[in-house]
Parts: sequence; structure tokens; C-alpha cells
Amino acid sequence: MEKSSEILDKIGRKSGMTVPEGYFADFASRMTESLPERQFNEAAHKRTFWQKIRPYTYMAAMFAGIWCMMKMFSLIVQGGNVDLSIDNYPVLQTALADDSFVDEFIYSEINRYDIIEDIYEADINPEELFTLVDE
Amino acid sequence: MPISQKVPNFTAVNYCNSNRSMSKETPKENPELIERLRDQQTCREAFGEVIAKYSEPLYWQIRRMVVNHDDANDVLQDTFLKAWNSIELFRGEAKLSTWLHKIAINESLTFLNRERKRQNLSIDDEASMLVNLIEADTNIDGDYLAQELRKAIAQLPEKQRLVFNMRYYDEMKYEQISEILGTSVGALKTSYHLAVKKIEQYFSNLD
Repeated sequence: MEKSSEILDKIGRKSGMTVPEGYFADFASRMTESLPERQFNEAAHKRTFWQKIRPYTYMAAMFAGIWCMMKMFSLIVQGGNVDLSIDNYPVLQTALADDSFVDEFIYSEINRYDIIEDIYEADINPEELFTLVDE
Repeated sequence: MPISQKVPNFTAVNYCNSNRSMSKETPKENPELIERLRDQQTCREAFGEVIAKYSEPLYWQIRRMVVNHDDANDVLQDTFLKAWNSIELFRGEAKLSTWLHKIAINESLTFLNRERKRQNLSIDDEASMLVNLIEADTNIDGDYLAQELRKAIAQLPEKQRLVFNMRYYDEMKYEQISEILGTSVGALKTSYHLAVKKIEQYFSNLD
């Protein structure tokens, strides 16, 4: 509820403005008489095919967008749960089962220094190891 | 400016001039009237009814903004001409009265901007321009307080002036003003409240 204003209550809703006598009746008839001829544009009333299907097109596009978003989301979520074990990759499994592949492509890249370092990191004395190899 | 001078030349192919008589009966705002406005056989007669019904409320709305009677008369003519020429764009989703009020407000503001530019005044000088017009207005009943209230309203920013006029003088509901001005009801209530405060301040400064 609006608070009433003392001064506005005192003045009232009378604006104090006047119009010449008979102005409104005269205006209505003059204005109606002077209306210009207007070309009727039938095309404005007829809805084009695109205007008719536009809301359905937008709705279909919106649903397609939501579907794509859901699909992407599910792929991302699934990506986190994929089993990364070697059993899941038969091609790699076959390749690693082949000794020549391992010798050629994996061991050839490793030098003696790397092997000794790995042995040290595993807390094994390399001299003991060499002794065992010699025996 | 007489109406005839404002009327542009139209070279139309199809005309709607079937009936020039104007019904005195005030039409109700209904789909039937809208249909008649769109029908080239009945549009002129139907628009005559629209003019008869809305010319007075629109005139007062315009007059409160532009102050001077002759200017209000010109702006009212422009309002109806614009409505007549674009009646096809009226889809009937909003009320006809709302649509006409929107056109009237736009025309009033356009007129005020044009006048301000013509007189080389800044937007801050609009209030003094309006006060000068109020003081020069001869179509008044001589009520001192009503005249001072008009001056107080003239000091308000444009939006507050519009809201105050529609709420106070036309006693429109905020929902209807909201439809016309495209502003939220909350913002309108704030505008009205601020306007009343400023008007009270104006009168307290007079004392």
C-alpha cells in the first residue's frame, strides 16, 4: 500500500490543464476524416512456411544440443573408468609376447648405465649380481 | 500543424475506404475489433472507433509530457497516424490500449528530444524548458497548487515523470504501467516513491 502524501492529497488529481471546448469530439472526427489511404499488405497476415516451422526447428535444435551435451558428458565420465591394463589391448599384448620385438624395440633403448642405476635404486649390490651372473 | 499537412501521399493499390461514418458507440477491446481493424472493408470505421475511445486518455498522457496544448494535439495526431500505418504489426498479444500508450509515449519523448535539440539545450535543461512552457500555457484553470505540481513534476527525470503521471493522474495499475514501459513492478514502485519524495521536497522548498 502506498503512503499518501499530504501535499498530493491537498492538491488532488486535478492537473489544472484545460482544452478548448468540444476539442475531443472535433479531434476524433477530423482525425478519422484525414486518415490516409492505406495499402493493405496481405503478406503481413500470411505466415510463411519458415515462420510456421521455426519454433519446432528451434525446439529440435535445442533437444539435439542437449543430446550432444549428454553424450559428451557420458564419454568424459566413462573415460575416467576405462580399464587401462594391458589385457585390454590385444595388439600390444601380442607384440610384447614376441621376444624379438621386446629385444629390438624396448631393450635396445636401455644401456648398461640405466640398468646399474635401476639395480642401485632397488637396493641390490651390483657386484653380487655380477658374481651370480658369472657363476 | 493541421492534420492534412502531416498526411503523407500514399500511392496504394488496395484501399480501405468502404465506410467513412464513425460509430459513437464506444467499442470494447476485443478480438472482433482487432479483426475489423485488419479487414480492409472495415478498418477505417473500426479505427474511427479506436480514435473516439482513446483520443482523450492519450491526449492527457501526451499533454502531461509535452505541456502545451498545440504540441499535444500534434503529437496525438502523429500517434494515431503511426498506429494507423502500422496496425498490421499489432498482433493482438498485448492490449490495444497498451500498444497505443506505448506509441504515444514514444512520440512524446521524440517530440521533447526534437524540441530540446531545436532550442540547442542539453538534457539537464529539459526541466527549465518544461517550466517555461508551463508558465506560458494558457489552457489552464488557474489553480495555483495544480500549476506548482506541474512544475514539480517537470523537475523529475523522464522515467519518474512518466511513472508518476500514469500512476497518479491516470491511476493505472503498476502491472499495466509495467506492460507499457517494459519495466518491472518493483522498479516502478521505486520510481514512484522517489518522484513523490522529490515533489514533497519541491513544495517544502516553496514554503
